[in-house]
Amino acid sequence: MYSIWAVATNTIKQAIRLKIAAIFIVLLIVLLPIMGFTATGDGTIKGKLQTFVSYGLSLATLLLCLLTIITSVFSVTSDIQQKQIYTVLTKPIRRFQLLLGKLIGVILLDIMLLTLFAAIIYTITIYMPRFSRVTDDELTRLNNEFFTARASLTPAEPDVSQEVLDTYKQLEKGGLLGELFLNLSRDEIITQLTSQKKLEKRAAAVGQELLWEFHNVRPADQNENLFIRFKYDVSVNPPDLQVYSQWLAGDYRQVKYGTKIETPIYSFERKDVIRTSREIQIPADAVAQDGYLAIGFINVPLNDTVVIFPLEDGLEVLYKADTFTANFVRANLLILARLIFLASLGILASTFLSFPVAILLCLVFFFTASFSGFVLESFDFLSEGLSGVYSYTLKPIIGFLPQFDKFSPTKFLIPGRLLSWSTIAQVAAPMACIKAPLLLLLGLLIFSYREIAKVIV
Amino acid sequence: MDYAVETIHLTKIFSDWWGRAKVYAVDDLDLQVRYNEVFGLLGPNGSGKTTTLKLLLGLLHPTKGKSLVLGGDGADTKINARIGFLPEESYLYRYLNARETLDFYARLFGLPAEVRRMRIESLLDMVGLTAVANRPVGTYSKGMARRIGLAQALINDPDLLILDEPTTGLDPIGTRQIKDLILKLAQRGKTILLCSHLLADVEDVCDRIAILYGGKIQAQGQVKDLLQQTDKRQIITDAISDSTVEKIKQIVQAEHADCVITSPMDRLETFFIKTVVAAQEQALPTSGAVSTTRLGEFLTGQLTKESIIDKLVSAPISQQTTSEPTKTQQVIPAETIEPKPDEQLLSKLTAPVESSSIDTTIADKKITTEPVEHKPAEQEIKKSILDQLAAPTLAQEKSGEQTGKSQAGEKNDV
Repeated sequence: MYSIWAVATNTIKQAIRLKIAAIFIVLLIVLLPIMGFTATGDGTIKGKLQTFVSYGLSLATLLLCLLTIITSVFSVTSDIQQKQIYTVLTKPIRRFQLLLGKLIGVILLDIMLLTLFAAIIYTITIYMPRFSRVTDDELTRLNNEFFTARASLTPAEPDVSQEVLDTYKQLEKGGLLGELFLNLSRDEIITQLTSQKKLEKRAAAVGQELLWEFHNVRPADQNENLFIRFKYDVSVNPPDLQVYSQWLAGDYRQVKYGTKIETPIYSFERKDVIRTSREIQIPADAVAQDGYLAIGFINVPLNDTVVIFPLEDGLEVLYKADTFTANFVRANLLILARLIFLASLGILASTFLSFPVAILLCLVFFFTASFSGFVLESFDFLSEGLSGVYSYTLKPIIGFLPQFDKFSPTKFLIPGRLLSWSTIAQVAAPMACIKAPLLLLLGLLIFSYREIAKVIV
Repeated sequence: MDYAVETIHLTKIFSDWWGRAKVYAVDDLDLQVRYNEVFGLLGPNGSGKTTTLKLLLGLLHPTKGKSLVLGGDGADTKINARIGFLPEESYLYRYLNARETLDFYARLFGLPAEVRRMRIESLLDMVGLTAVANRPVGTYSKGMARRIGLAQALINDPDLLILDEPTTGLDPIGTRQIKDLILKLAQRGKTILLCSHLLADVEDVCDRIAILYGGKIQAQGQVKDLLQQTDKRQIITDAISDSTVEKIKQIVQAEHADCVITSPMDRLETFFIKTVVAAQEQALPTSGAVSTTRLGEFLTGQLTKESIIDKLVSAPISQQTTSEPTKTQQVIPAETIEPKPDEQLLSKLTAPVESSSIDTTIADKKITTEPVEHKPAEQEIKKSILDQLAAPTLAQEKSGEQTGKSQAGEKNDV
């Protein structure tokens, strides 16, 4: 253990004294406050904060990722290349202890720097509204939509597979398939029918109503508000592009079964512009004791169009589930998991590659993981012809990589969305506790069996 | 019989990318190094010396055969804990200073902080780097790097010391010192395996040698047996009269043997060391390593806390028994009285000051030998002794300066 610690502290000293880390630290310490002053966003204080947090955190993350790759690769490859490893490995330290020490050193450095930068960003974010001229209205909005960690609930997707099959059979019997879907395979027709059916479930004709039921709604505080966030789509554009509506929110079971009314049911009559996200604020006491909440929408006869809630962002219920601070801490844990993964990757690469090659390999993996959505899609698209080769070679590798873009911390912080512990457990834990150790293990295996000394005759 | 290092049919073949054998770096090597001997591995460049050492330490894997180090595998941590290794160049972390470097290696052995601190100071003193111990080792000259490399090999007080070209880059004093160290360690029962192509070094210290060429042993045996000219005799005498020389010649010629009589020459090494030591005594400034030629005390197994205290308390006596006991008192009025112009002072300083050098040498000797009697003015003198222990030149320079000042002061008084 003492030898691991000795190597770890030496690695930190190396990163700091060789000024690898210094450049990054200076860059960030200078850039972050400047960004704090110059960020404007859409002109509102909320926009300003969102821009600052988004750019500040992204920049800090990017630089820390690069720093992690460089320090982890450098600390191992320079030892081998400059041969200090001859004197180190002939001391009573095992090879795995050496690598582990290096990894721990890099991770400790990461933790220190991440804490520092997160603290800077957090402080600037918290104090910025106090030093700006902000109206009460803006402040309320800021607190509701930014300085919060709102959980989001979307309605459960209805199971339409049976209906789709029935329709398909009917069409097949009627011989209409060829006419309606020209030259499409069965699977493609089923996919099209499924999305049609799903959309049907989220459309209300004039005078019709829609009902969504949510379970497990757990607002952090009963005195807080809930938000229904919705977006209309229409079959015919209304003249002023506005839709009239009545919304209901509360424990629908009280009405359905005629029990005693215990929690209030709220009703709102509204007029909202189409194709734009809007929010309705409802008091949290609309939620029943067991976390049940029903939302009703009535397409009032004033309209002359079918109202459709788009599948991806048509409707969701938001409520404050945690504080901004807690969310911010978890966001940084997400970043840390990413750094741990990259550090392990760097160590692995440097056990069998020289410095430049190892850096290149790590960067390729890093950028692939950063644009994983795009990479996966394009590979899927391009490889249709050569699926056999692809699915046994590249696909597992890309599949093994974590998807940095899919779970970017700013994606949660900017809209004030809750980054829950369960998300952390699903995303960060596999990255830091399964994938990273696997990489490290592979690195240890390679390192234990390779010859350390170079061939010199 | 047990050996400290033993190789059995050890072979290392370097192959090219296609797996074809390219070079036999070590070829079927059977080497035996006994416990408590100084063994020299000789050979021209590329004869497989360094490769053999790397194979012993597990930095390379043998193609065939095996090696035993202290009865086990050279890559085993338990064995490693008893080995000191100095590679062919001192590969150091450039950004650490000498003290941190040694501390890092000491921590790999899990030595407790107190032991680490003591050993580091003792080793730094031994290799003469105390004065520059806070400079990053990246700024060291090759010889200084070599010294710190040697210090790191000794940090664990090893049973087996493996030295690869220990004297490259070292000045003759350093070389002499390492040779002395090797002999001292051997006396203490350590085993030393050293690689070199500097034959003089090997000749001076090794009990047995093996000469390697093409990865194979070409000759092996006791240095004496290999080198002694059994058909010749040498007689060394003190300076004797010419008539005696003639007598001897006659006696020898009576046996029908040839006889050459000359005065023996000093070895260049001896002469060089004498010259430099004389310069050191005159306290000429140097930015290089200043060696105390004191062995690391933990290596000779003498260092105890009492002995340090002994030194400290015995110091006053040595100071008081010097020829000019009141010197330190004279300094004080000199400083309070307005000093003479700088030029004069400088000329005094640059001129060799005999009294000071004599003074310090006496002090140095007395430190270790004088028993404790009484301790007047302890504080003041302790400090000056500590200075001397830490940086002999500095102390000497200072004392030179003091005498310079005091003389200037005396003149003033007059």
